[in-house]
Amino acid sequence: MSNRSLAAATSTEALTTELPAGRSTGWWGMVMFVTTEATLFACLLGSYFYLRFQHGGEWPPGGIEQPKLLRPLVMTAVLLPSSLPMIWAERGIRRGDRRRLRYGLATTLLLGSAFLALQATEYAELFHEFTLTTNAYGSLFFVITGFHGLHVLIGLTMLSWLLAAALRGGSFGAHRHDRVRNAAIYWHFVDAVWAAILFTIYLSPRL
Amino acid sequence: MSTTTAPPPGASQEDLARLEAHWGERASLRSWFGTVDHKRIGRRYLVTASLFFVLAGISALAMRTQLARPESSLLSPEEYNQLFTMHGTAMIFLFATPMLFGFGNFLVPLMIGSRDMAFPKLNALGYWVFLFAGLFMWASLPFGAAPNGGWFAYVPLTDDRNTPGLHMDVYTLGLLFLGIATTAGSINFIVTALKLRAPGMSLNRVPLFVWAIVATAFMVIFALPALNLDNAMLFLDRRFGTHFFDPEAAGNVLLWQHLFWIFGHPDVYIIVMPALGIVSAVLPAFTRRGVVGYVLIVLAIVSIAIISFGVWVHHMFATGLPHLSYSFFSAASTIITIPSGIQIFAWLATMLLGRLVVRVPLLFLIGFIVTFVLGGFTGAMFALTAFDQQVTDSYFVVAHFHYVLIGGAVFPILAGIYYWLPKMTGRMYHEGLGKWAFWLFFTGMQVAFFPMHLSGLFGMPRRVYTYRDEPGWDVWNLVSTIGAYILAVGLLLVLIGVVHAIRRGRPAPPDPWGGDTLEWSTDSPPRPYNFPVLPQVHSLHPTWDQPSRSSMAEDATADRILADGRRTLFTSELDGRRERVVEMPEASVQPLLLALAMLVFFTAMLFAWYPFAAAAAVAVAVTIAVWLWPPRRPEEELGVVR
Amino acid sequence: MSAQPGPRTRLAGGLLLWYAVLGGALAWAIHLMVAWGADELTCASGSDRIGAVPLRLVVALAVVLPALATIGALLAATLAWRRTAHTRPDGIAEATLGRTRMLAALGLWANLLFLAIILLGGVALLVFPPCQR
Ligand code: HEM
Ligand SMILES: [Cu+2]
Repeated sequence: MSNRSLAAATSTEALTTELPAGRSTGWWGMVMFVTTEATLFACLLGSYFYLRFQHGGEWPPGGIEQPKLLRPLVMTAVLLPSSLPMIWAERGIRRGDRRRLRYGLATTLLLGSAFLALQATEYAELFHEFTLTTNAYGSLFFVITGFHGLHVLIGLTMLSWLLAAALRGGSFGAHRHDRVRNAAIYWHFVDAVWAAILFTIYLSPRL
Repeated sequence: MSTTTAPPPGASQEDLARLEAHWGERASLRSWFGTVDHKRIGRRYLVTASLFFVLAGISALAMRTQLARPESSLLSPEEYNQLFTMHGTAMIFLFATPMLFGFGNFLVPLMIGSRDMAFPKLNALGYWVFLFAGLFMWASLPFGAAPNGGWFAYVPLTDDRNTPGLHMDVYTLGLLFLGIATTAGSINFIVTALKLRAPGMSLNRVPLFVWAIVATAFMVIFALPALNLDNAMLFLDRRFGTHFFDPEAAGNVLLWQHLFWIFGHPDVYIIVMPALGIVSAVLPAFTRRGVVGYVLIVLAIVSIAIISFGVWVHHMFATGLPHLSYSFFSAASTIITIPSGIQIFAWLATMLLGRLVVRVPLLFLIGFIVTFVLGGFTGAMFALTAFDQQVTDSYFVVAHFHYVLIGGAVFPILAGIYYWLPKMTGRMYHEGLGKWAFWLFFTGMQVAFFPMHLSGLFGMPRRVYTYRDEPGWDVWNLVSTIGAYILAVGLLLVLIGVVHAIRRGRPAPPDPWGGDTLEWSTDSPPRPYNFPVLPQVHSLHPTWDQPSRSSMAEDATADRILADGRRTLFTSELDGRRERVVEMPEASVQPLLLALAMLVFFTAMLFAWYPFAAAAAVAVAVTIAVWLWPPRRPEEELGVVR
Repeated sequence: MSAQPGPRTRLAGGLLLWYAVLGGALAWAIHLMVAWGADELTCASGSDRIGAVPLRLVVALAVVLPALATIGALLAATLAWRRTAHTRPDGIAEATLGRTRMLAALGLWANLLFLAIILLGGVALLVFPPCQR
């Protein structure tokens, strides 16, 4: 930063800038909810590392194989980009464009469902090898991914509900889209958590 | 916006009538079950939490009666285990926090000059969930199926091999259920304090009680997930055979303790912080001046809230950390005493510099300072590791935490009850009766708990259902029990005082104490819309300053009366600049229905009726979907282009 | 100084104030996680170096860098405190100025407190070898 802009940024006028300002109660409510949920996932992933490092020895324990990478990477490639149509839809409705809202929501719904379907096939395969009750690794694996899957399911329910309201008409427009934005925040959060899970469960044992 | 040249004093008669029409609730069954008025919900929180306090108190009296004499056989060991667990769990989770949330619910919107909480229906939901979760847990006691593993439920004691039966499932599910209410309430407090403050109430004019509630709410947001996760894992381990805490299958029992204390240490402050907020709120009225060092107290509140997350490791002496990493936590444990000290000294300075008005609330504040400081002193003794090893799990610990919790929470709560009773009920209490209550409670408290230090030093362990006739034990135990009964009589007088005030009390004026915050600028009890004219705030003590007061009277403007609808104002987060007028939701039974569906869900989980649980989960989803379904609006209003 | 700053400058000013208020707290949180995590995990694995780097150095960095960040926040808070001391410039509401000044004061004290914690924990580094139990 040049000297001039530094001086400007430290002027009384700049320092007294109100930040944040003008958010709605719904936005704050959703952000706080997502914050507490994020803390929950942080504790869950923290427990994974705690048990893993306290266990010492070989990980995964009990002769379970390293998780395979291909499918989770495909799942990632399906889920993470699903935020894009959501953003596109939200930007659309902010300008009063209901078509973009509908198409965007539908695309995100499809991608999210594909993710869940892939997860189901993964479970079906893994159940032959280990389950929730095999050992603490199995418990961690299925509870972490399952809990995230539940969040995806809740997110999908929210999106379908939005889509239904959007198709009915008379629900959203340039002046009324709080619900769309809140659901979008939730959906982006679910996506971001998946990235953390991919790292923890699938990538970190290979490090 | 005010177009008249000579503004009328406050709101006109028509305005008042219209406000009444939009906000008033006619007495009916539907309005009773559907109310979203934060004042009614707040009062319900207070009454319900008091009920759980009475139940937990009766459990304590039963334990003290058993322990009055050596080898008494009033209670079996199984019963004793359930009683101390329910006592501790209920005092911590079902009394202290909900009671303080009750004060918060009643007071926060009034103190910040708003007409309700940010999410009134969520508020109602929080209350119903709290009520049901409390009943869910207490209902297990008559069946002999109550939690019995102590309030911190250490595994492996609490796993399915060592504690079969429903006991610990009631604990885990009950606390998970309750967690919904606590989280919802916290989010509501934060958003309310951020967005619904009266215009002009910038952050430097926010009452200390509101700061305390908001800091508490933030602690809940970050601490409660750890407890929820812990309980969920314990439930899964017990019911569905996972192995999180099972060392034979790569699990670890210490995981429970870590997660529990990541929550538990901040929880001590979650309990005490809003109570200290009450102290800061009550003091100005009885010292006739503002609390000394506003910024320093805000600093104390904020920094305690943050640092309390960095000290949990001191609960795990026995786990063998490297000295170096232990010292990072000790540093935090040491420094956190500074902000606590700052608050105490600020209050003492306020008392010294002010003119004391000795009324019952002030007496309880003084009782608080004495008791709390004693508790802090014995707490400092634990810092000596050798001493800690000596008294760990002895009655010394029981004495210590009762000094902290009764000193740090119950005394301020009682002060708050007397102080705000006129505002909540519109009636004054009987001063003489209140003084009797104080002296009995204070004496009883010291007589009951001081001797426990001694029996602890003589080696009496905690959580024993009886003891042999050892030297030094039986006398002090008898004294303790007598003290507990004196304390109970004191509390009974508090109850009688409240009932007497409601039945026979003198009508209370709007401002019986000369308080400084906004709740004293409106009727006692306040009208359903709180303020006929929303204030324009000019200072930290709006009720004491003329411009703020006249903003509600002769300087009233139509844009702060907002009588044509159920309306209140949004203002900006930091500076309290006016942003826009918002419509608030009406009474609804949806919150009650949603809470009922959740109750069915948790009950079905408890008894392993999984199809019912699934049906209840669907009911929950459907209720929420209906609740939030967008109303149909014309396209012009929505702003639709395509 | 009377020219109205643009939106970028305002954003920078607003963020600078938050750094002044919360910088110390954040730095402490990072210090605690990194220093404790590194010490605990490395010692548990029975070594006292992370790769080629001695553990002591890593922990020392996890003390010194956060301490520097906290000092930075302290300076920022001082600056904000001084910039709000004089008479109110036109166009800034009294409430806004008062609020900023209060946050600056809060930052001053809070950063001192967190600096004290970080340094107090850091002193132990001079006393204990990293893995002594
Ligand atoms: C009202 C008067 C009270 C009396 C007479 C009382 C008495 C007792 C007794 C006898 C025990 C059992 C000690 C043992 O066997 O180890 C106990 C435990 C406990 N009390 Fe109280 N208590 C009172 C109020 C409170 C309050 C207000 C709180 C908290 C806000 C509280 C929190 C606890 C906790 C957390 C435990 C530990 C339970 C456990 O060991 O798991 N008590 N109390
Ligand atoms: Cu602690």
